[in-house]
Amino acid sequence: MPTTLTDTPSGAESLILDLHGKYLEEARPSEPFKGLNLASVRRFETLKFPHPKHDLFSFVNAKELAWTRFQLQRDSRIGKDIVRDHVYPGCEKSVLVVADGTFRPDLSDLSALPSQVKVSSLREAVADPAIARYLAETIESENDVFAAINGAFFNDGLYLEVEPAALVETPALILYISSGSASHPTMTVPRVLAKVGRHSEVKIVVKYAGAGGNYFVNSTQDFILEENSKVLYTHIQADPFESWSFAKDRVHLNRYSRFHGVNVYSGCKLARRHHEVHLEDSGAELKLDGVSVLTGREQAHNLVRIHHEAPQCASAQHFKNIVNESSRSSFDGSVIVNKGAQLTNSDQLINNLMLSDDAHADSKPNLMIYADDVKCTHGSTVGQLDEEQLFYLNSRGLSQGMAKSLLTRSFAESILGEIQVPAVASGLRGILSKKLEANHA
Amino acid sequence: MENFILSGALNQINGRKDSMLEIKDLHAGFEGTEIVKGISLTVNKGEIHAIMGPNGSGKSTLSKILAGHPAYEAMGGTVTFMGKDLLELSPDQRALEGIFLGFQYPVEVPGVNNAEFLRMAYNAKMARQGKEELDPLDFDDILDEKMKLVGMDSKYKDRSLNEGFSGGEKKKNEILQMAVLQPKLAILDETDSGLDIDALRVVANGVNKLINQDNAIILITHYQRLLEYVKPHYVHVLSKGEIVKSGDKSLALDLEAQGYDWLTPVPK
Ligand SMILES: Nc1ncnc2c1ncn2[C@@H]1O[C@H](COP(=O)(O)OP(=O)(O)OP(=O)(O)O)[C@@H](O)[C@H]1O
Ligand SMILES: [Mg+2]
Repeated sequence: MPTTLTDTPSGAESLILDLHGKYLEEARPSEPFKGLNLASVRRFETLKFPHPKHDLFSFVNAKELAWTRFQLQRDSRIGKDIVRDHVYPGCEKSVLVVADGTFRPDLSDLSALPSQVKVSSLREAVADPAIARYLAETIESENDVFAAINGAFFNDGLYLEVEPAALVETPALILYISSGSASHPTMTVPRVLAKVGRHSEVKIVVKYAGAGGNYFVNSTQDFILEENSKVLYTHIQADPFESWSFAKDRVHLNRYSRFHGVNVYSGCKLARRHHEVHLEDSGAELKLDGVSVLTGREQAHNLVRIHHEAPQCASAQHFKNIVNESSRSSFDGSVIVNKGAQLTNSDQLINNLMLSDDAHADSKPNLMIYADDVKCTHGSTVGQLDEEQLFYLNSRGLSQGMAKSLLTRSFAESILGEIQVPAVASGLRGILSKKLEANHA
Repeated sequence: MENFILSGALNQINGRKDSMLEIKDLHAGFEGTEIVKGISLTVNKGEIHAIMGPNGSGKSTLSKILAGHPAYEAMGGTVTFMGKDLLELSPDQRALEGIFLGFQYPVEVPGVNNAEFLRMAYNAKMARQGKEELDPLDFDDILDEKMKLVGMDSKYKDRSLNEGFSGGEKKKNEILQMAVLQPKLAILDETDSGLDIDALRVVANGVNKLINQDNAIILITHYQRLLEYVKPHYVHVLSKGEIVKSGDKSLALDLEAQGYDWLTPVPK
């Protein structure tokens, strides 16, 4: 019984189309954005909001979202004090702030980033025909209706370029902070494009947080990794409960490049992440890990599509979900091994920890293999806390609440331990402990 | 039978005020199956009791009932610990009252740091006693001292609790926990099994360091070997869920020489 979707009656699209008409009139996007917006809105009309049988939305009920009449965020009340609350130690001078969908140089501080890291607006970056072409191609082939909505409304964004052979030690932190509006639900469409040059290595941390709720942050992030480059990526979803938090992360891996992503979700009314990865040339490696810690009525959903397009690439996914009370997680992941992608190695593992009878954790691991010489595994487990472990801890004087939160934390630890930025990992451990202790008290 | 009465009589002579644990006609088991079939036993402060008996006789069942394992149920009788009805308490409350069970099979808990766990357990006890909890640095001093006592390398601090420990390492870790927590009553369930002679000395040393006028130990063991290092005041033989014989430490020698076959449950 994997789905609780009720039909999204046709017509919800008209709300977005109305908003789009208004947007074109008021924002008057310049080229090439206007052309991209129009191409995207056509994609949107083709894709439509998910109906129950849509294979990209098996577990996500987007009905309320589709029927919400959003406005676009115009002014932002986000200031330095809010930003400060979300900056991890060691990132104070390498922080890029996207406030209510707009990159804000005045709130950002790039002084600790070396000169090999170039940060600019997408408006400037599209002057480069290669970038304009990349955007046009992605938008034409977009398969995710929410990413298509992003494309229909974006007219700027953030462009990051790491020059070849740069070893960037300082993590770059991209902070998405949304404030919404008390009276009207607002939508923002941040877009980030990052290109990492040959032989370079960089750590990128992105965090989604809010000052107030009632917003729909609908972002896309594209990472292009050139030959033998490496990205260590940490993605933190920490929006307030009343928000909708969506992101599509698209990764292109060139020869021998490596992308290691760790995704940590604390959930909200509806959090959804779509990870699309293309292993495009031999020797590329992807490691994608995630952990959700959900309680109350929080939701977090992962959709993963990994395309092995070249021989001798490797991908490994490990996602863990901790669901308490009536929270809900899902993982829908496919690994697609193309015809020529011989000697592919691919692993996919999902572990769900159910802390309550009312919680849901759905898993749909899937393999589509069109090559004959490959090594692929996939699996998923569902379990509760181990009674013998609980008793062992209790027998040493730890209360049931302490023992449960300790064991739950240890369940998450194998993912948190993968985070390559220690200050971020320890910050998350602290937040997680608090959340779990509040839960088990 | 004679010795059993003697032991009971001795306990009475020792006086009520020093009584720590009183088990009266305890029946217990799990899922409706009775394993422990009417055990009575009194343990006073300052005493070491050894419980021996063949495999499957209910020794571990008794120890788990005392520690409060949720899968085991008391089906009759009473257990009083320091004047309190023990069976009414949750496992963590029992631990905070001063009961410690050294597990026959210590549980592996991946992802839980050994030192952090020990500090949490220690601080739970401190909090209960209204004392100040220790931060990691201060606790580290205590831990170092206790690890030296049980001959454990400090690398075990940063390992996950019992994960991948050898059998002997797990048993040493139990003794370490006991040394850190300083319980009033330690029930050590075959902590000596599967140990080489050095590790056995460590266990014996841990027991001897713990025992004083204010606390007590129940040693569940199959072997006389441990009793060369730790001198029990009483030895009880458990068979098919009943104490069929009690005596002093010479009983352990008889058992070693003759096995358990000459003992049968006391007819009701
Ligand atoms: N959790 C359990 N599930 C099923 N059977 C059990 C369980 N615990 C104990 N038993 C059974 O209860 C009886 C007593 O077991 P117990 O472990 O108490 O014996 P023991 O005296 O400790 O034996 P040993 O010397 O082998 O440790 C045995 O028949 C055993 O198989
Ligand atoms: Mg046993």
